[in-house]
Amino acid sequence: MDIRLLTNADLPLIQHANLENLPENYFLKYYLYHSLSWPQLSFVAVDVSRPQKSPYDYPKIVGYVLAKMEEEPSDGIPHGHITSLSVMRTHRRLGIAEKLMRQSQLAMVETYQAKYVSLHVRVSNVAARHLYEDTLGFQNEKTEAKYYADGEDAFSMRLDLDDIRKQINEAQEQEDQNGEAADEGEAVGEVGRDPKASERQVKVAVGRSLGVGDLVEKDESKH
Amino acid sequence: MPQPLNSKEQALFRLVVRSYEDKQYKKGVKTADQILKKFPKHGDTMAMKALILNAQGRTEEAFGLGKEALTADMKSHVCWHVYGLLYRAAKNFEEASKAYKFALKLEPESAQIQRDLAVLQVQMRDYPGYIQSRRAMLQARPQIRQNWTALSIAYHLDGNLTEAEKVLSAYEGTLKQTPSRLDLEHSESVMYKNSLIGEQGDYQRALDHLEDAAKYNLDRLAVMESRAEYLQKLGRNEEAAKAYRALLDRNPDHQAYYAKLTQALGISDDDVKARKAIYDEYSAKFPRCDAARRLPLDFLSGDDFEEAAESYLTLMLNKGVPSTFANLKHLYSDDFKKEVLPELAENYLESQGADASSKDKGEAAALYFLAQHYNYRLSRDLDQADEYVNKAIEKDPKSVDYNMTKARILKHRGDIKKAAEAMDYARTLDLRDRYINSKAAKYHLRNNDNEKALKTVGLFTRADTVGGPLVDLLDMQCVWFLTEDGEAYTRRGNIGLALKRLQAVANIFDVWQEDQFDFHTFSLRKGQIRAYVDMIRWEDHIRDHPFYSRAALAAIDIYLDLAAKPAENGVNGEDTDEALAKKKAAKKAKKEQQRLEREAAEKQAKQDPNKASSSQTDEVKKKDDDPLGLKLAATEDPLGDAVKLLAPLLQVCPKSLEAQHAGFEVYLLRGKYILALRCLRAAIEIDPSSPKVHEQTIAFRHALNQATDLPAKVLEVLKEEFKAIEPSEDLKKVNDAFQAKHKSSPPHQLAALRAQHILGEDKARTNKEVLGLLELPEIEFAHALEALELLQKWRSSEIETFRKAALAKWPQVTRLE
Repeated sequence: MDIRLLTNADLPLIQHANLENLPENYFLKYYLYHSLSWPQLSFVAVDVSRPQKSPYDYPKIVGYVLAKMEEEPSDGIPHGHITSLSVMRTHRRLGIAEKLMRQSQLAMVETYQAKYVSLHVRVSNVAARHLYEDTLGFQNEKTEAKYYADGEDAFSMRLDLDDIRKQINEAQEQEDQNGEAADEGEAVGEVGRDPKASERQVKVAVGRSLGVGDLVEKDESKH
Repeated sequence: MPQPLNSKEQALFRLVVRSYEDKQYKKGVKTADQILKKFPKHGDTMAMKALILNAQGRTEEAFGLGKEALTADMKSHVCWHVYGLLYRAAKNFEEASKAYKFALKLEPESAQIQRDLAVLQVQMRDYPGYIQSRRAMLQARPQIRQNWTALSIAYHLDGNLTEAEKVLSAYEGTLKQTPSRLDLEHSESVMYKNSLIGEQGDYQRALDHLEDAAKYNLDRLAVMESRAEYLQKLGRNEEAAKAYRALLDRNPDHQAYYAKLTQALGISDDDVKARKAIYDEYSAKFPRCDAARRLPLDFLSGDDFEEAAESYLTLMLNKGVPSTFANLKHLYSDDFKKEVLPELAENYLESQGADASSKDKGEAAALYFLAQHYNYRLSRDLDQADEYVNKAIEKDPKSVDYNMTKARILKHRGDIKKAAEAMDYARTLDLRDRYINSKAAKYHLRNNDNEKALKTVGLFTRADTVGGPLVDLLDMQCVWFLTEDGEAYTRRGNIGLALKRLQAVANIFDVWQEDQFDFHTFSLRKGQIRAYVDMIRWEDHIRDHPFYSRAALAAIDIYLDLAAKPAENGVNGEDTDEALAKKKAAKKAKKEQQRLEREAAEKQAKQDPNKASSSQTDEVKKKDDDPLGLKLAATEDPLGDAVKLLAPLLQVCPKSLEAQHAGFEVYLLRGKYILALRCLRAAIEIDPSSPKVHEQTIAFRHALNQATDLPAKVLEVLKEEFKAIEPSEDLKKVNDAFQAKHKSSPPHQLAALRAQHILGEDKARTNKEVLGLLELPEIEFAHALEALELLQKWRSSEIETFRKAALAKWPQVTRLE
C-alpha cells in the first residue's frame, strides 16, 4: 500500500471509494474544490502493486483523507478540518487511516499554520471513534444534535497540533545550529529562525466571493 | 450605442441586473417588462430579459429575444455580451467566443467581457487566444499579481516555458521587498516558478533557485521532493540519498522513495541483499510501516522470498489482518510465489492447530487467506475455496468478510442468484456498513434484479432527496451503480433504461469537464497554481477513465444492435418470440411512463401554490421528460448516437483494443470505410493476435467486395492501405484455415463463427459448430454465455438445444437458465 499526496486524476476513484463506503457523499466539484484550494492536505492510499489491466488504468484508491482549512474560522484561529476519511473494507487493519491522517496534519501545520484539526464523527461509529480518540488523540468537544441527514448526532472532535509544531520547530532549530552543512533539506519545518513566527496570526485571503460560491458555503451537515 | 433611458428606467434597469445576479428571476422579468412597456425596443433590457429567461430554462424564447435585442441595437456591447452568454450556457463555445469578441470590440475597456472571453478561451484550450486576453488584462491592471500569474500560466499551457518563467520574474522585479514567509500566494508562486525551471530540464538552476527562494517555503513536501529529484538528476548521489532518507522519515509508506534511495546509493537491481537491507533498516525504524516489510516480497526470490514471506504472513495472520490476501495476490504473476504463499499459509494453519495456546484469530485469518487464494483467478479451485471459507465461517459465523467471500465464490461458479443471496446475507451482518451494502446491491444487479438493488442502496442514500434513491445517486454521480444498472437492463432487454443509465454516465463526464469552468478564476484567486495546472492536464484526457469507456462501450454495443436490427427484421419479417417480447416490453414501458406523468401531475396539483418552493431563488431544476429512456431507444440515428460516445474514446484511448474494435463496427455499418480501416489497423497494431482482428479483417474484405458505389478515390486509398487479405482470396477458406489453426481456443472459434455468419455460411454448419464448442476442453461457461448470445442475435433455431446442453454441463450457471 502506497501513501501519497492526492492528485486530481485520483478524484473519480476517490469519489467512488466514498460512495461505496460512506453515507455522506459529494459531487466531483466538491473534491476539486478541496484539491485546488488546499492541495497539500489530502492524501490517498493506493494499491500500487496491482497489475495494469489496460494502458488507461488509474491507480486503485483503497483509502483517502479529504481535508481542508476552515475558510472563516468562527474562533479566529486557523485550523484544519477533515471533510471525509475512508478506507475500503478490504484494506482495513493496515493502519492506513492513521497514516493518512498524520500526513495531512503535518501539512496543515507546515503550510497553513493550523493550530488544531477538527472533525465530525457519527456517535454510533465505534471503529472511527476508536481511531480518532485512542490512536490519534482527538478530544470530544461536544455533541451536535441531528448533524447527519438521517438524524444521527455527531461528536465534534478536535486535536491540538501544538506537538507537531514543536517537533517542526525543534527540527528547524537543530538544522540552524548545524549551520551551513545542515542546510540540506532534512528540515521538516519552515519557521524557527523567527521564534515569533509560530505565534503570528496568519491572514489568509480566503472566503468572500471566491466564485465557487455554492461550494464554499456548502455545509456538510446537509449531507 | 446603448439607447439612453430616463433616470427612473435606469434605476429599473439596474434592478433587472441585480435581480438576475440574485437569481430573483420572476422579479427580474417583471421589472424588465416595466421598462419595455415604455421603451419596447430597448436592446439592453431585451437582452437582460433574455438572459433571465434562459436562466429559467426557457432557452428557445431566450435565444429569440436575444436575437431581437441585437436587431434593435447592433452597437450595444451588452446585447453582444448577453448573446455570448446564451451560447455559453448552451455550451456552444465557438459562437459564444465570437459574440464576446464583438462585444469587446464595442467596449474594449470592459473587464467583465474580457474576463468572460478569457475563461472561455482557456476552457476551449485556445491558448494563443488566452495569452492575448491575459496580456490585455495584465496591461489594464498590472498592479495585481494574479494578472501576472495568469499570463504565465497561459504561456505554460501553450508550451512556452521560458516565456512563462520570464513573466513571473518580471513581476518579482517589481516587488520592493520580499513578501512575508507566510504569504501563501507568494509561497506558491515561488514553487510554481521552480517547477517551470525544473520542467525546462535546467536542474542546476532549479536547485539553486529552490535553495535560495524556497528555503522557508510553506509547501515543505514539495520543496523536499523537488530538491531530492534535482540532486539525483544532477548526479549528486550522496546528497540525493540524504534527501530521500529525509523523505522516508517523513513518510515511510511511499514506495517511490525507496526506489530512488536505492538508486542514489548506487545499488544495482541485481544486488538483492543490499536492496533488502534498506527496507530492513526502515522496518526496524518504523515498526508500524507496512511498505518496508511488504515491498521486498516483490523482488526477492527463492529461499530469501520464502523466509521474508513467512515472516510477513505470520505477522499479518497473527494480527488477523483481513486484507492480507488482497495485499499479496499481485505476487501471483510469479509461479514460484504462487506455490509458496499457500504452502506458508497451510504451515501456519498447522502450527496453530498444534499450539494449544494459539488464538483463534490467526487460525481464522489463515483459513480466510486460503479461501481467497483458491477463489483467485490465477489459483482457482472453487471446491477448495468453499471448504476453507466454510471452516472460517464456522469459526466466526458473523464475519462480514468471510460471508462476502462465500458470495464471491458462488459468483465465480456462475451461480449469480445464490451469490446475490449470500451477499445480501453478509449485508445483514453489518447493517451500518455501506461497503457491504454496496456489494450486495451490485450482486443484485448482476442477478438482473434492478429493483432489489435500488431498494438496497436506498438504505444509505439521502432520504430527503426528492425523487428517491436514484436521483440521489445521479446527483452524487454514482458511476458504478449507473453502469451496473444499465448493464443489467441491457441483459434484461430493456434498451430504454439501459441507454438511460449508460448515457447518464456519459453526462456525468460532461459535467466533470464543465466543472473546470469556475476554477479558471477561482484558482487564480486562491493562488494554488500547480494544482490548477495539474487539473487542466487531467481534464485534457478525462474520458480515458475506465468509468467512461465501460459505459460508452456498453452503450455503443446497444446502438450497434439497434442499427443492425431493422435490416434483419426486413429479411425475415416474421414475428419472432423476441420481437413479441420487445413489443410487450415497449407497451409496458409506455404504461409506466404514463403512470409517472400522471403521478407528477397529481403531485403538482396538490402543491400549495402559496407556499414557496424549498429554495428562495427561482432556479429551475430541469424535469426529465424521458425517465424511462423511451426516446433514447427510439432513436432514428443509432449510429450517430454511437459516434458521439465513440469519438472522444478514440481520441483519448487510441491504445484501447476494445475502443478500436467498437470503432470499426460503427464505422463499417455507417459505410465509412476509411475510418473503419483506421480502427482495424490500430487494432492490429495493438494486438495482431486478437481473435476479433481476424473477424474484422474478414468482415472488411467482405464489405469491400460487396460495395459497388465507392468513389474511385476511396477505392484507391483502400487498395493501398488494406492488404491483409487480397480481393481475390476465398474468404470462407481463409476463415476455415483460421478455425483449423486455433482448434482448441474458444475465443478464436467464436470469432471464426461470427465471421462465418458475416460471410453467409450455411446456417446448419454454423449452428452445429456452435454446439460443438461445448466439447472443447478449454471452454468455460463465460464462452458458452457468449455463444448463447450470438445464437440469440442470429435468431438461430438451436438456441434451446444449446442452452440445455450448456446447462447440463454447468448446472449452477444462473444465466443459462
